[in-house]
Amino acid sequence: MQNDIALIIQIQNKDEVALSKLYDNYAPALYGVIIRICKDEQHAQNILQDTFMTIWEKAHQYNSEKGKFYTWAYRIAKNKTLNFKRKSQNLIQTEDLSVYANKEDSITIEPEYLQLSGCLKQLEEHHQKALELVYFNGLTHREAHKEMDVPLGTFKSYIKQALKKLQLSYDKTVVWLLILIEVIR
Amino acid sequence: MDKAYILKHGILEQYLLGELTNEEQLEVDNILKTDADLKKTFDTLEANFENLAFENAINPPAEVKTNLMQSIKTSQTKVLPLQNKNPFKRYLYVAASISAFLLISSIWMFTQLKKSNTQLKIASEQKEQLMKDIDGLKNNLNYATTYFNVINSPETKQYILTGNDLAPNAKVVSYVNHQDKSVIINAEQLPKLDDAHDYQMWADVDGVMIDMGVIDKNKSLLAMNYIENAESLNITIEPAGGNDHPTVSRLVTNVYL
Repeated sequence: MQNDIALIIQIQNKDEVALSKLYDNYAPALYGVIIRICKDEQHAQNILQDTFMTIWEKAHQYNSEKGKFYTWAYRIAKNKTLNFKRKSQNLIQTEDLSVYANKEDSITIEPEYLQLSGCLKQLEEHHQKALELVYFNGLTHREAHKEMDVPLGTFKSYIKQALKKLQLSYDKTVVWLLILIEVIR
Repeated sequence: MDKAYILKHGILEQYLLGELTNEEQLEVDNILKTDADLKKTFDTLEANFENLAFENAINPPAEVKTNLMQSIKTSQTKVLPLQNKNPFKRYLYVAASISAFLLISSIWMFTQLKKSNTQLKIASEQKEQLMKDIDGLKNNLNYATTYFNVINSPETKQYILTGNDLAPNAKVVSYVNHQDKSVIINAEQLPKLDDAHDYQMWADVDGVMIDMGVIDKNKSLLAMNYIENAESLNITIEPAGGNDHPTVSRLVTNVYL
C-alpha cells in the first residue's frame, strides 16, 4: 500500500519506470476483469492499454485517503469496458441485421480461459454467481438481481454473505500460510 | 444516509464497484472520513475484492505493455511541448502585431495632430488679423460718419483760413457747428513742418487766445476743441507738442467768425 502511493507520486511526476512497475503489479488483475466483461481478447487488450494511459494522465486525481489504488484503477477499467460494450451494442442495433443480433453473446475465447478460481470456488453456487455478476461481469446490483431472478434485497444479502465467507477463507489462507512459514523455518 | 442504512443496503459494496451516483458517492466519501468503524469495514471489503481480482488475474500479452510504454513516450515528447510552447508563441505574435499596429497608428495620429495644430494656429492668426482690420475699419467708419454728419449738417458753417506772408500757400477749411459745439478742420494744404514744430489752433475770446488743440501732422481731417463765444480762429507755429500761449509772431493764418 505504502509502496503503491510512492509509485503513484512518481507517476504524477511522469516517471515511466514507476508506471512500468505499477503495470507489472496490477495489469493481470485488471485484465482479468476487463476480459471477463468484454469477452473479446483484442478489445480487452486495447482497453487495458487505455486504462493505463488514463492512470498515467490522471494520476493526480487519485486520492489515497479514499481507497486503495486497485479500487480506483478497477473503476476506470470497468467504466471503459462498459462504455465499449454499450457502443458496440448500439452499433449492432442500428445496423439492423439479425445475423449480428447474437454477436454480443458470442465469446471469441475459450470459456475455460475465463473460468474463475481461488477462494471464490469454495463458495456456494449462488454466492459465487452473485459476486461474479457484479464484479467480473460489470453488472450493477439492479441488473444482477434481475439476472439471478431474486429480489434486490436478497441479492444484496447474497453479496454480503459471499464476502463474509470469502473473508473467512482468506483469513484461513493467511493462517495456513503462517503455519507453513513456521514449519519451513 | 446513515451508517445503519449503508450497512443494511450494501451501499459500501456498490460504492466500491462505482455503481453510485456522484452525489451518493460524495455522501459516502464524507461518512467514511468521519466514521472509523465504517472505514474499517470498507477497507476489509476492498482487500477482499482485490484478493478476488488477483486470484482471477489473467496475464495480458507482453505487447500491450510495449505499446503502452511507447505511447506514453510519444504523448510526453510530442504533446507536452506543443501544449507548452505553441500558445505562448502565438500570444507573443498576436501581442507583437497589436503593439506594432498601435505604434504605427499613434505615429500617424501624432503627425495628424501636429498638422491640425499648425493649421489651427494659422487660422487663429488670420482671424486676429481680420479682427484688427475690422476694428480699424470700424474706427474709420466712425470717424467718417461723425465728420460727415458734422460737415453735412445745415447748421454747419464753413470758414476758409488762407495763409499770410509766413505761409502764402497755406489753406485750411474749418467747419464750425454751434449747435453741436464741434469744430472740424481740413489741414491738408498746410505746408510741411520739421519734427521740432507743430501747428496749433487758437480761439480768440474777448482778446484772450484759448487753445483749441495741436494739429496732427498725419491726419488730413481732424476735430478740434469747440470754444464758446470765439470771435476768430487762428493757427500759429509752436514747438512740437504745443504751447500754453500762442507765439503771435508766428501766426500763419486767421479768420473771423
